[in-house]
Amino acid sequence: MIEIKNLHANVNGKEILKGINLKVNAGEVHAIMGPNGSGKSTLAQVLSGHPAYQVTQGEVLFEGQDLLDMEPEERAHAGVFLAFQYPVEIPGVSNSYFLKAGLNEIRKSRGQEELDSFQFLKLLKEKMKVVEMDQSFINRPVNEGFSGGEKKRNEILQMAVLEPKLAILDETDSGLDIDALKIVSSGVNKLKSPSNATIVVTHYQRLLNYIVPDFVHVLVHGRIVKSGGKELALELEANGYDFIREEMLQSA
Amino acid sequence: MSVEMNHYTNEFQTFQQNGAAKSPDWVNDVRTAALSVFTGKGFPTTKQEDWKYTNVTPIARAPFRYSASAPAVPAELVTSLLIGDTEQHLIVFVNGHFSAEHSRLQSLPAGLTVKNLIAAYGSHADLIKAHLSKYAPYDKNPFTALNTAFINDGAFIHAAKGTKSSLPVHLLFISTAAGDAPAASHIRNLIIAEEGAEVRIAHSFASAQDNTNLTNVVTEVSAGRESIVELVKVQRESEKAFHVEHLHVHQEPRSTSRVFSLAVGGAIARNEMSVIIGGETTECNLNGLYITSGEQLIDHHTFMHHIHPECPSHELFKGILMDKSRAVFNGKVYVEPEAQKTDSKQTNRNLLLSDEAVVDTKPELEIFADDVKCTHGAAVGGMNETHSFYLKTRGISEGSARGILTVGFAAEVTQKIDDPVLRRFVDTIVVDHLRRKFGTGNLPEIVHA
Ligand SMILES: Nc1ncnc2c1ncn2[C@@H]1O[C@H](COP(=O)(O)OP(=O)(O)OP(=O)(O)O)[C@@H](O)[C@H]1O
Ligand SMILES: [Mg+2]
Repeated sequence: MIEIKNLHANVNGKEILKGINLKVNAGEVHAIMGPNGSGKSTLAQVLSGHPAYQVTQGEVLFEGQDLLDMEPEERAHAGVFLAFQYPVEIPGVSNSYFLKAGLNEIRKSRGQEELDSFQFLKLLKEKMKVVEMDQSFINRPVNEGFSGGEKKRNEILQMAVLEPKLAILDETDSGLDIDALKIVSSGVNKLKSPSNATIVVTHYQRLLNYIVPDFVHVLVHGRIVKSGGKELALELEANGYDFIREEMLQSA
Repeated sequence: MSVEMNHYTNEFQTFQQNGAAKSPDWVNDVRTAALSVFTGKGFPTTKQEDWKYTNVTPIARAPFRYSASAPAVPAELVTSLLIGDTEQHLIVFVNGHFSAEHSRLQSLPAGLTVKNLIAAYGSHADLIKAHLSKYAPYDKNPFTALNTAFINDGAFIHAAKGTKSSLPVHLLFISTAAGDAPAASHIRNLIIAEEGAEVRIAHSFASAQDNTNLTNVVTEVSAGRESIVELVKVQRESEKAFHVEHLHVHQEPRSTSRVFSLAVGGAIARNEMSVIIGGETTECNLNGLYITSGEQLIDHHTFMHHIHPECPSHELFKGILMDKSRAVFNGKVYVEPEAQKTDSKQTNRNLLLSDEAVVDTKPELEIFADDVKCTHGAAVGGMNETHSFYLKTRGISEGSARGILTVGFAAEVTQKIDDPVLRRFVDTIVVDHLRRKFGTGNLPEIVHA
């Protein structure tokens, strides 16, 4: 589905990603863990096309297409979705207008017919059930005044509506209470299929009990320094990142 | 005397022979005094600091005529300008003349008077004498002098002690072509809220056709002790029109004023808004939104005068500029030595949607008390990149994101309007206007948190 080769990226002239290699196939769940400031969100933003980051080296193929050559909205049309670590508030604009605009542009780009308000509302209400979100959120301005957890849940609602091929969830678990964590995870699991893939960025093994990864990668200082199965997350939980740093020192 | 001043001296004579007789003698004395101030000063020029960025030569040059009566305007036009489908106490003026035909003042609650000034001389003579021309000095601003020289009619609102009006009062001023010469309307409004009264007012201006008229307004508001006055101005005149208003709000102790200015019309539009915070723990909220396009120039000059201690004042003005349009924002805050513990915040944010649009923004803080909190900030820029990126990651194109975020930018200030009916009124006008300017029906309705 996506193949990242030797990806280097800068922000404000400072190199943050220093050669990322990662391959994700359809049907897989990959977890990315790593210390604060190691570049996890940067990787997510670069994959979505944030203009503040400059790719200086490497390539990213998404279903065989050059992802880095596409505008952010074209990536969304192609099926890339990013659940933000810090979702943005858009005052004045209702959640439903925002989502309908996005969904219809995605449908249009695929030659599908646009949904009218009635059809869209029906779909939205179904998806709100999946993430157990109250219908009062339909007409509230996007994320404005939402609690931290409500914002995260709203990100997963958007994912449910837009049905991406590749979903990148950047610390969607942070800020969620225990019940919400279960609801959101089960939502993510319900949306999982053999034809789509998920990258979850998280600090906590707890999430991975619910969204079980096929692979776990550790990102340190802009590089993936270790990859493994789901047991790697347990190891990190028990020992922190120090053992990896030590391994790195030894191999250096 | 210049040609321009000769014109106005002649106009004044015509005016005296016509409508002027309808007012008491003392009003005529004020007019005569104001005329001599006006002819002495003439129109302002860009050499004056207050008018540096706003050149009113096109107003000075045009031979505007006072008309003794108002041409008819169609009922459908009036209907299209109302506040949605809600009931409202409506008073309509056409070229400054009261229109009984279009006004709807049947169901006023006890204690609330809404009538035209000429009629009010009969019922509220002493009150008018006590307030009229007491807040708006005509020796400073030539347009105020010109307005005062031509005081004739306008809206008169009186809310007696403790009166609370549940419905909004709508002052609707329509300008229309009158004969060949461009028409001038010098509108004079007086709004008096007595102790503990609460009133919400839509103060709206529109044109019947796309033509060059001059609407020159002076509005004086007296907010009595513990009263609440919300005044929402909506100026959507023709883009060929000239519009000038000097609004004065005088606040008594513990009163609250909420003033909002939406300005989308006019070739040149100038709003001066002065608030005299004349009593302890008095609150003032002054907010506004201007949207300019083509070659429009919209200018706001605000003045917050803190005289007494412990008064908060909040001010947020936002601007959306397109094409080759221009906007001016000048926010003066004056804190007297006695006004300790003043808490004043002023912000001006501008969204430039074109490289050729220009905004001149200037805060002007004069603070003579030492224990105060006064902040100000001004920003001029393009689309917010973080917001725009968020929308695009959801598949929304650059063009749609621009529209959506422009609506959002506007919504952030319209949400300051307290009354939901008036807020809805403004929101609808803003979105309709942006839809026209963006050439798409595809913009969201505004919702508030
Ligand atoms: N716009 C920016 N300007 C300057 N530095 C930036 C910018 N964006 C990111 N960085 C820096 O890049 C580094 C990586 O940040 P990133 O947000 O990718 O970390 P992260 O791994 O997601 O961390 P966390 O676990 O705390 O979310 C940090 O040192 C951060 O300060
Ligand atoms: Mg991060």
